[in-house]
Amino acid sequence: MDATQLLKGVLDVAVLAVVEQEDGYGYDVVRRLRAGGLEEVGDASVYGTLRRLYTAGALTSYVVPSEEGPHRKYYGINAQGRATLDVQRKVWAEFSTTMNNLLEAS
Amino acid sequence: MTTSTVAPEIAKFAAAVREALADLPEEERDELTDGLEADLSESLAEDLRRTLPDPIAYAAELRAAAGLPARARKRGAFAGLAQSGRDTLADVRIAIRRNPALAAALDFATTLRPLWWVIRAWVASWVLAAFFGMERGYWFDGAWWIVFAAFLVVSVQWGRGRWLGKGVPTLILVGNVIAVLALLPIRAATDNGGSGGDGSFDRGYSAGADSVLNDPATKGLMFNGKPLKNIYVYGADGKPLHQVQLFDQAGHPLDPFSHAPGEDQPCADDGCTSLIQAARLETGRSAFNVFPLSLIRGKWDNEQAATIPMPGAQPQEPKGPFLKVPAVLDTKKVSKSNH
Repeated sequence: MDATQLLKGVLDVAVLAVVEQEDGYGYDVVRRLRAGGLEEVGDASVYGTLRRLYTAGALTSYVVPSEEGPHRKYYGINAQGRATLDVQRKVWAEFSTTMNNLLEAS
Repeated sequence: MTTSTVAPEIAKFAAAVREALADLPEEERDELTDGLEADLSESLAEDLRRTLPDPIAYAAELRAAAGLPARARKRGAFAGLAQSGRDTLADVRIAIRRNPALAAALDFATTLRPLWWVIRAWVASWVLAAFFGMERGYWFDGAWWIVFAAFLVVSVQWGRGRWLGKGVPTLILVGNVIAVLALLPIRAATDNGGSGGDGSFDRGYSAGADSVLNDPATKGLMFNGKPLKNIYVYGADGKPLHQVQLFDQAGHPLDPFSHAPGEDQPCADDGCTSLIQAARLETGRSAFNVFPLSLIRGKWDNEQAATIPMPGAQPQEPKGPFLKVPAVLDTKKVSKSNH
């Protein structure tokens, strides 16, 4: 089983969870996901996911100019994002319990 | 404005990513790539071993994660056709993958792809040669190989996914179909050129290249594509004539062998047991256009490395196929008008 395949299904909720802790810009979110154990996560996948969650209304965004380089685009979670995250947490908890039971029983 | 400290390779990479997203609405593209330079700079600064990925693949990943459709293709008549062809191919590939035996065959065929790149370049250079009606000759030898080498480079680069400009994939699809269709007649043509019939391209090729000078099929007298060895002449009365000199419309002697002075005497049969003996004219020159041509017994001479006339043998006129043929009906009329 390929972990990167599994990751595709849960990247949304992982990104939402990371941004909920603290607002973050693209690479900052990537770094925190990797630090959290998702080492294989691709930059572009995360940036695209951030963009999609923003379009779906789950995130806010704002640009922070930089003194010494190009500006950074920060993302923060909003009420809708929190609600989505709560639902997905429950879904994941149920799903992982189910899978654990299945795998341990055999 | 901020003084930009973006490294040139990052700026170039970001531009390539934006180019790959060029089909999206401008606003969408800007949203998707906003902050890209900052993220990349930081990412590269943090891990010095990291190299920039392929911008096209990067853009595709970005697009897929953002839930946007894959790059829309420009829809011309051919592009649409090519796209549906590709879709069908993809479906077939999935079906093949479900069957282990077919999947193994597909893998085997896939490893042979470079061979196909060579073949299609080879076919293309032959098609080009045929298009310009090139005669096979010494100059053709060099020119063909240069064209082939150029086509080969392009074909392999295309095969490796390089040099793919706008519309080139469609061009390749159409070209591949033409190459396959052209393959059979070209094979046949080169086999003919080979004359040995062993199918060896190189031998067939060199045989074709010097055929202008040496191929017996291109000189001398032919009847229905086969070389003539002799001509038997019968008069209006149906009786055989002897020592008849024949010329073409331009006054050239009809020499069945296009015999050049100094050449070996032509053989009269496959085993070369006898030779064609030229007649001698009053000018002292020998003539091969005096029919029926006489034969003389030959023997192999080691010194000259050729078959030479047997010493003491006399030239003899071979027996014709008929002692007498039916006479022409209006013999008298002809003889009258001749007077």
